[in-house]
Amino acid sequence: MSTSSGLISPAGGPPRPPLVRPRTDRAIGGVAAAVARHLGLPVRAVQAGFVVATLFGASGIVLYAWLWALVPEEAPLPPAGGPTGLGAVPDPATDEAVAFGSRIRVDLLAGAFLVTAGGVLAASRLGWAVRAGLVLPLLIMAAGAVIAYAQFDEVDRARWFARTGVANRSAVLRLALGVLLVVLGVLLLVLQQSDLLVLGRTLLAAIAVLAGVGVVLAPWGVRLWRDLDAERAARARESERADIAAHLHDSVLQTLALIQRHSQDGAEVVRLARAQERDLRGWLYAAVDADPTTMAARVAALTAEAEDVHGAVVEVVTVGDRPVDERTAALLAALREAVVNAARHADSPIRVYVESGPDGVEAFVRDRGPGFDLDAVPEDRLGVRESIIGRMERHGGSARVRSAPGEGTEVRLLLPERKEES
Amino acid sequence: MTVEVKPVRVVIVDDHRVFRSGVRAELAPAVADGRLEIAGEAGDVEEAVTVVAHTRPDVVLLDVHLPGGTIRPGGREVLTRSAGLPVRFLALSVSDAAEDVIAVIRAGARGYVTKSISGEELIAAVLKVADGDAVFSPRLAGFVLDAFGTSAGEVAVVDDELDRLSAREREVMRLIARGYAYKEVARELFISVKTVETHVSAVLRKLQLSSRHELTRWAADRRLL
Repeated sequence: MSTSSGLISPAGGPPRPPLVRPRTDRAIGGVAAAVARHLGLPVRAVQAGFVVATLFGASGIVLYAWLWALVPEEAPLPPAGGPTGLGAVPDPATDEAVAFGSRIRVDLLAGAFLVTAGGVLAASRLGWAVRAGLVLPLLIMAAGAVIAYAQFDEVDRARWFARTGVANRSAVLRLALGVLLVVLGVLLLVLQQSDLLVLGRTLLAAIAVLAGVGVVLAPWGVRLWRDLDAERAARARESERADIAAHLHDSVLQTLALIQRHSQDGAEVVRLARAQERDLRGWLYAAVDADPTTMAARVAALTAEAEDVHGAVVEVVTVGDRPVDERTAALLAALREAVVNAARHADSPIRVYVESGPDGVEAFVRDRGPGFDLDAVPEDRLGVRESIIGRMERHGGSARVRSAPGEGTEVRLLLPERKEES
Repeated sequence: MTVEVKPVRVVIVDDHRVFRSGVRAELAPAVADGRLEIAGEAGDVEEAVTVVAHTRPDVVLLDVHLPGGTIRPGGREVLTRSAGLPVRFLALSVSDAAEDVIAVIRAGARGYVTKSISGEELIAAVLKVADGDAVFSPRLAGFVLDAFGTSAGEVAVVDDELDRLSAREREVMRLIARGYAYKEVARELFISVKTVETHVSAVLRKLQLSSRHELTRWAADRRLL
């Protein structure tokens, strides 16, 4: 009947049922049933274990009482319908409630356990034939182990480390209790004996206790840390994925929908596709820390605007970079004028080249449009003369327009660094 | 009907079939008049290595980002594994990260053009690469100027210096970045087209051989848009 199946479920196996006392099928308090179900052992074996432990200094009874107090009762089954039977898994909400309730009870009742331990100690002092020197350390070790073990199945460990006061206090309290138990055990050992030889032996026992607790806690700590790390990484990945999905939805999918609706209007489709391409590129390749106030960023912005407004294609190459000040802002304004001019008169790609260095800024706007004769432009046409040449000269720079009919046009803007700063 | 010049044989490597047929269509005029011949196509690293080794084309139009293989970007692996073959590579890419472009150039590609290039320009670029010249798009020229610190006024005193551009090379690069064709560069600087090509090839060599640390750093923290 009893195969040795499921002594301890191997790591990666199905999750253990939570450590809760069943409401039905229990002999006294349901502790043995709870432990058996949780560890996957036969109930009889657990019960026998308690009985055997009781033979050794009544530790079985103490442990049973303690677990009775600590282990929460299973959540009541829903009155009608719902999944029934032994394998019914409590839904996460109740699970969490149980875990939370147990946490408060652990704090309160661990204190009660201390009182009990004190009582046992007093009894032994009064001549009870308990070999306290042996039993108590074992008991305390068991207590430490159970406290540590109880953490394994916490539903949401995250709450442990959450910054909320309650959770943190309970964590600290638990830790303090564990330490207190260990210290108490050591004190008991030391105070009981005066014989040097016995003292040495008890010290050894104390070290064994500490080592035991350490062994119990170490894998827990490592596992908790790993789990937390994995959870954090997963959360980061998830939120990144969500960001990407949101961006694609807001941009690419919307544009594709628009393109389908405008499929008859070729120019509009091109404009939409181009704008979307620019947006996606910026999003994919832009440096994370790109400063929107530098020359390169402003040049990109103003050419993008020209593309949107005039439906032209502007290829931009920037070399070097520098922050925008009052003078370079003037150059940018002149550059915008030149780009818009080119976009209006030429339909081929417009090339913008901006080089920013310590000696100044130089910008070129080139198109392969029909070109024009600058001298033939009437005086009242403000575009080139005022917005480009005049503006550059006012700020200590210069502008030159090179154009010939049929050869396209190139505007060169030069803004040398001021030699003196005063 | 005599064929005076043998057509330049081209292999198109790109993982998107639609894009490959697009390139085919753009090269079609040159195929029709006998200047080019499409020798094959490939869609991933393994296929590319096999097709290139098998067909021995004159020029491979190589997508920088290619699936398969173990080295990133995939285009670089094709270059490394095809080393030693008398084949010239022209990198063709949707504006990629600078570090990938520089990786492909340093692995031996003779040039880099963006996929937005017009059909006419693409044909010219392929023929130029077939002739052993280097092909620089305005963007790549801008990248070279930036990476070699020319905007900070660094100019090589001796032409052979690997870590800096000479004044003339800088001039050529600036004109290319401004959108000038080699012919226009030559006219602007009063030199022959052949001289322009020599300068561009010299810059390509510097780009491939220079150990200038800014090159790598620049490529790492900046991306070509």
